[in-house]
Amino acid sequence: MTTSSDVETADRLSRRRSRLLPVLALVFISGQAMYFGNATQALRTVDTVRISAWLVWSIVLLVLLATGGGFFRSKAVRALMEDEVTIEHRRRGLATGFWAAMLTAIVIYPLSIWEPVTAREAIHIVLTAGIGAALPASASSNGAR
Amino acid sequence: MAERLANRLLALRAERDLTQAALAELVGVSRKTINTVENGVFVPSTALALKLARALGKPVEEIFFLED
Repeated sequence: MTTSSDVETADRLSRRRSRLLPVLALVFISGQAMYFGNATQALRTVDTVRISAWLVWSIVLLVLLATGGGFFRSKAVRALMEDEVTIEHRRRGLATGFWAAMLTAIVIYPLSIWEPVTAREAIHIVLTAGIGAALPASASSNGAR
Repeated sequence: MAERLANRLLALRAERDLTQAALAELVGVSRKTINTVENGVFVPSTALALKLARALGKPVEEIFFLED
């Protein structure tokens, strides 16, 4: 049973999510430079921790993209947050992310002839492009009342 | 010729003095969905169109129609 407070809560959370996704994308994409440059040198412990943290951060964002979050909300609120419009926006976001990742891979492939790219760097760049493009494209707009 | 799915949702909702949130509650969707359907931004599924028709007490073809 849907109540007015469920509708209001879902609206509020959906608006918050729409604002948050582009910000997360910006935070995720910015500061990527620190992961490149010393790939041929032996990894220090701090590098391993940083790379692992980035991987965890990527997985968290992918889970958020795939599910929409709201895990600690009631079933009714989650159902409202996962309505047809949201699913359509997510589909668009995932398609955008897929094409961004494919295009990035296509660009990296020939570039690697002149500038050697390690497997880790290539995966990092492709994941960043895919997730970075999918997050803002998944954000739905909320119209006026 | 491109056809567009138009609707009379706003007028029918106003007739019944329902806010978007109230109609959303009746149908079991978010207010955003009602808003985007009403503005023609989003084409609803058949199930949602039927739910809207039931909530407004109208046949679905009185709410949604094709526009050239």
